Amino acid sequence: MKIKNYIVVTVAFMATACSSDFLQVTPETFISSATFYQTENDFEQAVSGAYATLRDVYGDAYVMGEMRSDNTHYNYKENDRGGQNIEKEDVAGFTDNSSSMYSNQKYYACYRGISRCNAILDRIDQSEINAASKQTLGGETKFLRAFFYFELVQYFGDVPLYLTEVTTQAGTALPRTPKADVYVQIIKDATDASTQLPATQTEKGRVTQGSAKTLLGYVYMTLKDYAKAETALKSVTTLGYDLMPNYADLFKTANKNSIESIFEVQYLQGTQNLQNNFTYQFIPALENTVVITGVAGNNQSFGGWNIPSDDLLAAYETGDKRKDGSIAMGYTDADGNFVSSPFTNKYLNPHSTFNNCNDDWIVYRYADVLLLLAECLNEENKPAEALPYVNKVRTRAGLANTTATTQAALRDVIAKERRVELAFENHRWLDLVRTGKAIEVMNAYGVKMKQKYSYLLPRTYNVDANKLIFPIPFDERLLNPELSQNTGY
Amino acid sequence: MRIMRITAVIVFLLSTQVYAKSFGQVEKINLKMNSNIKEVFEQLEKVSGYRFVLKYDQRILDKQVDVNYTNEKIDRVLDDLLKDTGFTYKVIDRYIAIVPVGELNDFTQQQKSVSGKVTDSSGGPLPGVSIIVKGTVTGTISDTDGKYSLSNVPENATLQFSFIGMRSQEVAVNGKNQINVVLSEESIGIQEVIAVGYGTQTKRDVTGAISHVKTTELEDLPVAQVAQKLQGQIAGVQINQTTGIPGQGMTIRVRGAASVNAGNSPLIVVDGFPISGSINDINPDEIESISVLKDASSASLYGSRAANGVVLVTTKSGEKGKTKVQFSSYKGIQVVPQAGRPDMMNAQEFAQFQKEYREDMAAFKGTPVDIPAEYQNPSEWVGKGTDWYDILLQNAKIESYSLSVSANTDKLKTSAILGYFNQEGVIINSKFDRMSIRLNTEYQINDKIKIGVNLAPSLSNTVTNGTDGALWGGGIIQNAMLTSPLAPYKNADGTLPVIANTSGLFPNPNWYRVAQERTNNEKSLHVLSNAYIDVEFIKNLHFKSSINAELGNKKTNYFIPSTSGYIFDPPPRRTEASVTTDSYFSWLSENTLTYANTFAEKHNFDFLAGYTAQKQTNPYEYMYGTGFPDDMVKTLNAATVYQLDENYNELTLLSYVGRINYNYNKKYYLSASIRRDGSSRFGVNNRWGNFPSVSAGWIVSDEPFFPKTTWLNYFKLRGSYGITGNYNIGNYMYYAAVTNTNYVFDNNLSSGRSTTSLGNSELGWETTKGIDFGFDFGLLKDRISITYDYYGKTTTGMLYSVLVPQSSGFNNIWTNIGEFKFWGHEIGIISKNLTGKLKWTTNFNISIPKNKVIHLGTQDAPIGGQYDNPNITQVGSAIGMLHGFVFDGIYKNQAEFDAAPHHATSAVGTVRYKDVSGPDGKPDGVIDNFDTTIIGDPNPDFLFGITNTLSYGDFDFSMIISGSYGNDIMTRTFEYAQNLDAVFNVTKDVANRWRSPENPGDGLHPTTNTGTPLARYDNSRWVSDASYLTIKNITLGYTLPFRNTSYFERIRIYGSIQQALVLTKYEGANPEVSINGSSVLESGLDFTAYPVPRTFTFGLNINF
Repeated sequence: MKIKNYIVVTVAFMATACSSDFLQVTPETFISSATFYQTENDFEQAVSGAYATLRDVYGDAYVMGEMRSDNTHYNYKENDRGGQNIEKEDVAGFTDNSSSMYSNQKYYACYRGISRCNAILDRIDQSEINAASKQTLGGETKFLRAFFYFELVQYFGDVPLYLTEVTTQAGTALPRTPKADVYVQIIKDATDASTQLPATQTEKGRVTQGSAKTLLGYVYMTLKDYAKAETALKSVTTLGYDLMPNYADLFKTANKNSIESIFEVQYLQGTQNLQNNFTYQFIPALENTVVITGVAGNNQSFGGWNIPSDDLLAAYETGDKRKDGSIAMGYTDADGNFVSSPFTNKYLNPHSTFNNCNDDWIVYRYADVLLLLAECLNEENKPAEALPYVNKVRTRAGLANTTATTQAALRDVIAKERRVELAFENHRWLDLVRTGKAIEVMNAYGVKMKQKYSYLLPRTYNVDANKLIFPIPFDERLLNPELSQNTGY
Repeated sequence: MRIMRITAVIVFLLSTQVYAKSFGQVEKINLKMNSNIKEVFEQLEKVSGYRFVLKYDQRILDKQVDVNYTNEKIDRVLDDLLKDTGFTYKVIDRYIAIVPVGELNDFTQQQKSVSGKVTDSSGGPLPGVSIIVKGTVTGTISDTDGKYSLSNVPENATLQFSFIGMRSQEVAVNGKNQINVVLSEESIGIQEVIAVGYGTQTKRDVTGAISHVKTTELEDLPVAQVAQKLQGQIAGVQINQTTGIPGQGMTIRVRGAASVNAGNSPLIVVDGFPISGSINDINPDEIESISVLKDASSASLYGSRAANGVVLVTTKSGEKGKTKVQFSSYKGIQVVPQAGRPDMMNAQEFAQFQKEYREDMAAFKGTPVDIPAEYQNPSEWVGKGTDWYDILLQNAKIESYSLSVSANTDKLKTSAILGYFNQEGVIINSKFDRMSIRLNTEYQINDKIKIGVNLAPSLSNTVTNGTDGALWGGGIIQNAMLTSPLAPYKNADGTLPVIANTSGLFPNPNWYRVAQERTNNEKSLHVLSNAYIDVEFIKNLHFKSSINAELGNKKTNYFIPSTSGYIFDPPPRRTEASVTTDSYFSWLSENTLTYANTFAEKHNFDFLAGYTAQKQTNPYEYMYGTGFPDDMVKTLNAATVYQLDENYNELTLLSYVGRINYNYNKKYYLSASIRRDGSSRFGVNNRWGNFPSVSAGWIVSDEPFFPKTTWLNYFKLRGSYGITGNYNIGNYMYYAAVTNTNYVFDNNLSSGRSTTSLGNSELGWETTKGIDFGFDFGLLKDRISITYDYYGKTTTGMLYSVLVPQSSGFNNIWTNIGEFKFWGHEIGIISKNLTGKLKWTTNFNISIPKNKVIHLGTQDAPIGGQYDNPNITQVGSAIGMLHGFVFDGIYKNQAEFDAAPHHATSAVGTVRYKDVSGPDGKPDGVIDNFDTTIIGDPNPDFLFGITNTLSYGDFDFSMIISGSYGNDIMTRTFEYAQNLDAVFNVTKDVANRWRSPENPGDGLHPTTNTGTPLARYDNSRWVSDASYLTIKNITLGYTLPFRNTSYFERIRIYGSIQQALVLTKYEGANPEVSINGSSVLESGLDFTAYPVPRTFTFGLNINF
């Protein structure tokens, strides 16, 4: 072969060669974290993304917040024993285990939110966005991280404490941090948030100084640090909040983020996947929901939850406006007959599409703060100071001032007020736990329930101290052997 | 050049026709030298490939000649050289014999003449067969009609018939004047040429583990998919038909599949082009042969994607020497067999069940329960009601037409294949059709340059209904099965009701109507094309450059009318439609240099070096619309509310390949290869992977010390070691993706974005190291050939989306984890049992695949196996074991209840599971999460296939059997089909459930009163042995006697039964079922699938 041929071969061979840039392919339909978190707009979006996990935390929160308590139960469906249903029943009846999807969802969703907060907090201080935005966005993020951790410690006890974004596989598994240490972090974040956040935000739905102070108040109340709780809660009363004149109006979609609202999870009906379907879960399971919601549809496979218990119905004093503002006693069927079947109407507002509603979920509101402050003052043995706050709430409900004067009597009054004022708002179970009443109240309630419902097995409503918190998810422990389980699970 | 005694070796061919033919293939000679004839002959040997042989007289060799030829034919050269020398020459095979003029006549003084005809096994004439009188140089070759005639043959002589590619035969003359011979194809011969990575080799030269199937031998099978034809054919390759949906559902797993997660289907290479689409886009009639590269050494040239094995598809090209036109067609009918149909309650039984359910509930609760009117008197339903499974079925036709034309002239080799296949489904409103064209052309421009173009478009249409799968997945079959048999699917007046429901059940749509009216049509265009140029720079040094392009476009139209619906969600409901466009465009540029030569006569080697670059893009668009005013217009323009999605993926791959094959005297073989691959799918740090391999072979039977026995004529040892890779994950997996996470402020959408996946810049190649040790036997002169292989593979760095603690904020991370071992034995036997007038060949193969998980992830956390998860992959056992509770009967009475551990919801009459373990790893007297365990193994102990082919005269018969032993299936359908809440129709045996301590039933089905969810968890009662033996195909053919008319060369007709008989203890419809398709992690689950029909066909092959 001649030299010329060698050249031809070599040239032909090389001509089609590619450079190794050929292997660098950049995705076009999403961006990567390496290029995000730079501009102010990036951080604004990232903070919205952190808020978005609130919707996951609150989606089924009523199962652990209300159905676990003596406030609500469920319509038993003997012909629909699918897992997603019976696991709700298990939470209500205290037969849930570490595979319960409801407590697991809460756990996962809170951590999803924490991870998003960590990604922001890892970078925002070093970023070049303007200082005011750094303050506010950073404050919102710290509030959210504190809020998520507060949910976790209340429901699960000791939990792993992640304070920076996880970026490697090795960093994914942490052991549990003692509850007290988690609280230290929560207080730190909530305190920072309360100083960084403004009293009002231009965009409704964003958290404010009031939100952070309320959170702090709750945290201190839970820790029984009444002095600090009092300071925090009292400062909320100076921030311009007030009660809505009419209790029922609070829950109208027209009054979202009202003057009474301190922290509210936002929803939006429509096709953007930001809607909720709370009311379709809460009304009885119907072949056609038009008789209640005005919109045709079949909610038989997912309705009938969070139904007011007899106990709760009995808790309303005669003339309490909050009863009608919270509960419908039944509905009129297609034939015009009234069907007695109580359900909550707090999240029932006009809407146009089946299973697609616009209602927000109020997490903290002013009446809540007033009652919590009353509880705080009463625990500090200052019942007289507590009374005006209780009576303010009672007055709006159309009730006379309470006659209780002793600390013990007022304690019961405040507990009952919180129960009916905040019914269906996911406070009852945590209130029972915080005030140390859960075991006593729930066992007594269980006896009555078992008498009423023959389907309740003997194992239900056996409430002991172990049941005050929920189990660490089973799957989580498979993946992280360092994770211990709560006693009793 | 050899100089030897000619009589024993050389045959003089006396026919001038042969003479001309033999030289037809010789290249033109360029020769310029001044030397003696000996040296001229030696030079001619080098350039022509012929060997010169002289008969004892060497006078001629010393003659000096001066030659100068340019582009001259060899016969002219020889004529010149031998002019006036007193010698002449004759050609036989690759030898040129130089003999003194006149000696030829010495052989023509015998006494007898014999004539006859030589045909192939199908009865076609065989021209060009050499016929030699054994032990002499007398011979002839057959003419174009396969006829021959020999004169002067001794009475006691033996004739030898031989032809390349056919098995040689010897026939004793015994005084006969007429001897007709049928030669059979030497398909098992070691000289058979088979496709290997980047080239071809003869079987003898192969040192890896490669199975080869000529699909032309399987042309009678009435199936849409190539993979269906391969079932039972190849040792070590498990091919299952997981569903009967027309045109879908085949899974191919080579040696147990190395990768657990990152795809376990082998790489499909069509004529050298690794395709992105499915092998099923190809008309099976276009395929000439298929090679499966099973071990690392043979596959590692495709290193990057070879870990799951490589399937090399060779399409038909023009056959040498003649123009062929072939037409084949079949038509048939498909029927769902009775065996395996679900055994659901009929209307009377169901009414009885509903009645008893209420009676039992009333007794249990102590309060009266109303019994709806339709259940009160079950006997009134005798002979009435709806069999919902049955009404979805139909007998369906199947048809196929294929026309191929091929021609091969000196310069142009071309073939065109036109195919049309049409299969109606045995479930109403489902079908598959495909129109395909393939055009393969190769043109020899001159002595040095060859170019080729292949183009293969195919257009297919699939109509399905969403038939398969679980309740909530919307699988129509299961949903229909579970619907009340009391509900009519058709009214007395012939109209179709919209809803199918009876009292106390969830309302369902009329599934017959859903099946009829739902639209789910997929139109797919697939174009495979390539063009290449092959330049031979100097003799045996080839440069080949090819460009391959593949286009796939799949458009799916979906429409659900308002009269349709889903489970529990009956009509009227909103009308919905969607259009999905899923495309891919892929190109591959491949450039190789190959060189082959022989040194010192015995050192043969060939060499390959090359590189390839490949790029693939996948655009995807989805449009969804609702808010239709009615069902009249089914397209999206009639919708008022829309949702859209778009996605775009890109993949690049850069590879370098090199290989050296060496053999000494075709006895000792050594081969080494390497491939280096870079892929855009991996993190910058681990983008490149190296995939080397070595292999060796030794033909022991060619050794002088090897005893020359008649029973063992061939024995070869093979061994190989190599590394292969896998990158079958999605694109961009190493990125930490930031995606939309929107929220609401001020009652408006607020754009949110969050990091939603964990990135991993270290993500790299999954590698499999494999060894293979095998031997090949030829027994009784290759009447029986046996191949055995032992293989071992270790996969490390498996690409897997590892679950991580969700407290990290993420669910999983794509990473390289774990270690898996695969090993097994494979035996293939081909035996020509009878070769006389009745021919009978048996092809048997068996494979014993094993696998074991050695490591998983960082914590060895199992994959799957979470609570109520039907599969688990855990360290120490095989992959994808079935997982759940161990069924232990029913708590029949209070005493049994008190004596046994309980679940939180247990009661007398509920299901009893075994207390396997607890939080401390010991049984704890409580039934909970900790009591789920391994309850079955979906991996077969062994797989086998047996193919028998017989022919007698004009008749031929074949039977293909494939089977599997020891694999379990979990019938997850029972979660619903044996549900105890009385909201579904259930299997007949639920009638024997526990009703009271006095009436405890069969001990298998618990009470309907309470604790019913417990019986729904995955448990061992749902697991059964799904070993099977399936007669995949029986064909009987007849070749019509009027062959070789001026119109036809041959006409054959045949009848066949596909899926003729399934022998199995498994009670479900299909023992090959797997709801998750090819997934190894989630195999062995039956969640109701489209039945695989039995197909009766009648077919026709015509050769013109």
